[in-house]
Amino acid sequence: MPLKLKLSDCTGCQLCQLACSAVHEGAFNPEKARLKIIHEYTDQGIHIASRHCILCKKCEEACPVGAISNNGRWMIVDHDICIGCGDCARACPKDVIYYDANRKSIICDLCEGSPKCVEWCPKGVISLYERAVKA
Amino acid sequence: MNSLMGKTLYVDLTKKKVHTRVTPPEWVELYTGQKGLGARILMEAADPKVEPFSEANPVILTTSIMAGTIVSCSAKLAITTKSPLTGTITDGSVGGHIGGELKYAGYDAVVITGKAEALSYLYIDPDRVEVRDATGLKGTGTFATEAALKAEIRDDQVKIMAIGPAGENLVRFACISSERYRQLGRGGIGAVMGSKNLKAIAIRGWLDVQVADIEKCMEVAKAMHEQDAVTAPENEIYEFGTPVLVDMADKSGLLPTRNFQQGTFEKHQAINGESLKALRKNKKACFSCGIACGNYVQAGDARVEGPEFETIALCGSSIGNGDPEKLIALNALCDDLGLDTISAGGVIAYMMEATERAVHDFGVRFGEADKALEIAADIAHLRGIGKDAALGSLALGEKYGGAEYAMQIKGQELPGYDPRGSWGMGLGYVSAPRGGCHMSCYPIAVEAWGTEDPFTFDGKGKLVAEMQNAQFAKFSMGVCDFWPISSETLGKLYEVTYGGSWPAEKVDRAGERIFNLQRMFNVMAGFTRKQDYLPKRFYEETLRDGPPKDKAMTRAAFDKALDDYYDFRGWDGEGRPKVQTLEKLGIEEKLIAAYRKAAKT
Repeated sequence: MPLKLKLSDCTGCQLCQLACSAVHEGAFNPEKARLKIIHEYTDQGIHIASRHCILCKKCEEACPVGAISNNGRWMIVDHDICIGCGDCARACPKDVIYYDANRKSIICDLCEGSPKCVEWCPKGVISLYERAVKA
Repeated sequence: MNSLMGKTLYVDLTKKKVHTRVTPPEWVELYTGQKGLGARILMEAADPKVEPFSEANPVILTTSIMAGTIVSCSAKLAITTKSPLTGTITDGSVGGHIGGELKYAGYDAVVITGKAEALSYLYIDPDRVEVRDATGLKGTGTFATEAALKAEIRDDQVKIMAIGPAGENLVRFACISSERYRQLGRGGIGAVMGSKNLKAIAIRGWLDVQVADIEKCMEVAKAMHEQDAVTAPENEIYEFGTPVLVDMADKSGLLPTRNFQQGTFEKHQAINGESLKALRKNKKACFSCGIACGNYVQAGDARVEGPEFETIALCGSSIGNGDPEKLIALNALCDDLGLDTISAGGVIAYMMEATERAVHDFGVRFGEADKALEIAADIAHLRGIGKDAALGSLALGEKYGGAEYAMQIKGQELPGYDPRGSWGMGLGYVSAPRGGCHMSCYPIAVEAWGTEDPFTFDGKGKLVAEMQNAQFAKFSMGVCDFWPISSETLGKLYEVTYGGSWPAEKVDRAGERIFNLQRMFNVMAGFTRKQDYLPKRFYEETLRDGPPKDKAMTRAAFDKALDDYYDFRGWDGEGRPKVQTLEKLGIEEKLIAAYRKAAKT
């Protein structure tokens, strides 16, 4: 059940990132959001892209200590087991894993099923895939 | 805890030295952020008689309390300095994403003085502040400058503001561009950057922005978005962006046409909201904004985010240009060269009228958009007549004749509303601290498009002053113009981000204090009542079409309106704030003492 983004409607306001960091970190900081929006002009025109967890589970496969699992809907990191080696972040094809202050991996947990980014997007760009991915 | 970062960065380009100071909490309390904080810092950092292109004239970047938070439309960044075009205090603000980024880099404000030895750019992140070489970018347009710096810094999240050749060549109305199509447009702030050999400012941040109460902040911000309908798709500003105003202005007979000789334009439908919407490729929002007023349009090879209403009026109807493709091309060219589209259009329209009236043959007539494109480039590069045109329409008119056809106030070209169609707007224009400007207040909304009589000055002194106070609070506390927010709502948002109690009266009071502070600067710089008048066309010629047809705004009536306005503000007959007015507003004694000395009141 990863996030689904209709990027053609995205305006690049990053309210999703602000909501994400506020809920999880208690502060506004788009750098610490679990999804990233790129919305910029280039010589070719406008470039819109997103980086968010697609539930590919490559992080789970890469983790050497078994700290990462999933429930079929989102990834779960056990911070008691995580050793902060960074293998998961290096394996992530979307580059959306970062570390908290104690160098433990942080991965989108869909706000445990009701994501704030979906709630805050003013243009209805972000939604959830309804089908579950096999655990 | 609140959303101030607590630090102001000082950069001396001559000495290549940087240091930080605590952002004085008492300044924030009195003057809030952006516009107000910028004016307060300028008062401290420079003598109002400072020469605009001297090393001592600071370029002051200020953010706001709400920048970097989730409050909609709050991420603007302002720059305050003394204008080389008007000699007044001037400030401008830019949207896009750079305002929030400066907070994430750890600063509320940046004060830049001195002059770099060679063309340079300033790089700021939470760990580093560096003055770096930019000599390779000499003469480069703002678009390519931004791309080159992104590549050099190797970070696609870095936010950049840059000047083009116009700023480097000290064109008096050079602007600053960010993210290509977001401009800090007016008053020649780009030229002040140029005089410091400062090609660009690159900012990258990753620090937290905290607020007084984050849960309350999320709750109130969300409720305000929804209640104030800034996120509603049916909101016209979302649907069309500012071009929605073209039809409204034409219908009200105040759309500047052929250098304000007419108030209606026969080709306005070719460049209105509908026509430009048909050319739209994408919508684009500034950081944290639920509205997304930006329209990325393309016609033929020409593309731009815009054109905004003021550009449509000054580079469209006012130069007799009804061709959307050429309008878009002229808009993009000005953005890339780093020219303010309002002043550039105003200068070119003066040249067209002077030519048609045989005052001086500049070789360009109304409707000749291709020539307008050439003139814009000549101005930015100081080629031929461009060298004189770079000084602005007033200087050009004084040299070549027909200065009365320079449609300016205090040397700054007028924006897109003919004051004969909204008399209160005329009063707003002359009292705006930075010269001909539509941002200090917007009486058109209640006159031409509301229930007030547009063709009288009765009650307008009070109306204009109160609108200005609210606008100055809004722009200082950190909300974009396109959220028609009430002072009450603004105060509620301030309480959850900054903290404390902010009833509407306190908000408006802050706005009034900031407005007076800017006027103090201008009085100390030598401005008096004499500069508070409209170009004489507005008193001596009536419009021939639309609602303002044959409505005569006389100079005597205007004088009386000015008296009423000064009186309501607590200023003397020369337009100087009275000492007791300043004391009542709580402006610091130290500033009042300096003002008394300089203004001899």
